[in-house]
Amino acid sequence: MAGIVCRTASQIISSQASCSSSVLAVRHSHWFTSVLSLKTSIPLRAEPKKKKKVDPRREIMMKERLKKKLKRLEKVPPELIPIEDFITPAKCFDETRIRDAPKLSFEESERRALLLKEWSRYKYSQHQTEMDTIEEALEAQRQALDELKLESEELYKAAVSSDMDLFPFQREGPSYTPPITNYEAPEGKYNNITRVYTQ
Amino acid sequence: MAAPFTRVYRPLWRIITTTTLNKGVRNVSSTRQQWSAQNVKTAGVASPWALHGAVCLQRLPVVSQDRSPIEDEFMELMHQMELERSLLSDHELRLLEDAARMSRKQEEESDEEEEDYRDKDIFTAQDLEDIWEQKLKQYQPAQRSQGVDEKGVSSSERCLAESLILLVKKDVGSQKLWLLPQIQWQTGETLRQTAERALASLPVGADLKATFLGNAPCGFYKYKYPKDIQKEGSVGAKVFFFKALLSGHKHLPLEKNSFAWVKKDELQDFLKPEYLKQVRRFIMAL
Repeated sequence: MAGIVCRTASQIISSQASCSSSVLAVRHSHWFTSVLSLKTSIPLRAEPKKKKKVDPRREIMMKERLKKKLKRLEKVPPELIPIEDFITPAKCFDETRIRDAPKLSFEESERRALLLKEWSRYKYSQHQTEMDTIEEALEAQRQALDELKLESEELYKAAVSSDMDLFPFQREGPSYTPPITNYEAPEGKYNNITRVYTQ
Repeated sequence: MAAPFTRVYRPLWRIITTTTLNKGVRNVSSTRQQWSAQNVKTAGVASPWALHGAVCLQRLPVVSQDRSPIEDEFMELMHQMELERSLLSDHELRLLEDAARMSRKQEEESDEEEEDYRDKDIFTAQDLEDIWEQKLKQYQPAQRSQGVDEKGVSSSERCLAESLILLVKKDVGSQKLWLLPQIQWQTGETLRQTAERALASLPVGADLKATFLGNAPCGFYKYKYPKDIQKEGSVGAKVFFFKALLSGHKHLPLEKNSFAWVKKDELQDFLKPEYLKQVRRFIMAL
């Protein structure tokens, strides 16, 4: 590498010097140690096009080496993005934060147990009524479709075909208080500190 | 419903029938008459039942329901249990520290000036809480339940916690009955389009923006005409109901005598028993 550099440097300088100098001037120049060595080396006036065959090969070699390095890097599996929800923050292990648990009286614990049982019964009956309502609505729809089929086939087919405009369906659910008419919500500033990971 | 078939060897009638659209009912019926040997009742064939399309327009609840007593109790219990099982938060720690510092200050009346210098935060946690409470009081939310009898039956701002159905008073024969808005079916349209037309033909129909849920009817009701009206070929009528949700309207007051927004429990005051029996099945008030 160093030899190439030296030689190219010498060629450049010699090509610049060739217009005004002869071998004599070159002999006295500090760039060259001896005339003999100069004669055995490449001619002075040659331009540095000599490395035609060698350079492309060298460049190809360089590219191949880089490609191999890239392949080696790509083979390594990418680092997994940590799921922040699964990592308990260090704050939770802080001992100073433990609350003094109050001792429950017997009546209190009894009341709680009975309330939980009452709740499960309530929820069960609620679920049963919901399921029954849904079943009845579906039955009503099924019967309506049967009647429609008796009436006319094309109307039945049109009814049974899927509605393209319905989905995606979006609706705001009920809130605690009704919306205030002509209310302008104040604009709030916030700093988004979510961490974004890239693979 | 079907992608256009490009395979040539498929028989022609199959290609035509599989590329039906909702609005291409008329085309399908004409091709079917040519190609199908089935006994299909098309518009031309007289069926003794007149078809009507009706719309069950629902205004869904705007406000959440009140809790029943057991739900209240359970909610209290859950809050208590969660509080007991939790750890102290930053704010609570700060409250405790402030309280400890105050008690220390009061006990030892020594030089606390150095500590005051170190206190960068002027507000204690309790002060912050008071500030937040003040801010909350500045916001006045709308009232949950407007009084029981304030709004008439024809206002859609009634009972915000429950879903309401739109009823219309209509002349049927000689009587005036409360019905779900319905209109006669015309040839060349699907029943869903009939229902949409029924909604649009109301005097306030243009203001009521509704999203129809699907092409299929949710229920039906058939009734026979009284014998003096029965002509040849029309025995009675079949009404098919379609569900729709009210998506937006301009809150214009409706005529009291011809329109009503009604809860499921109040339906029996308005509808005839047979009609009510069929309509109740698909109206879900949970």
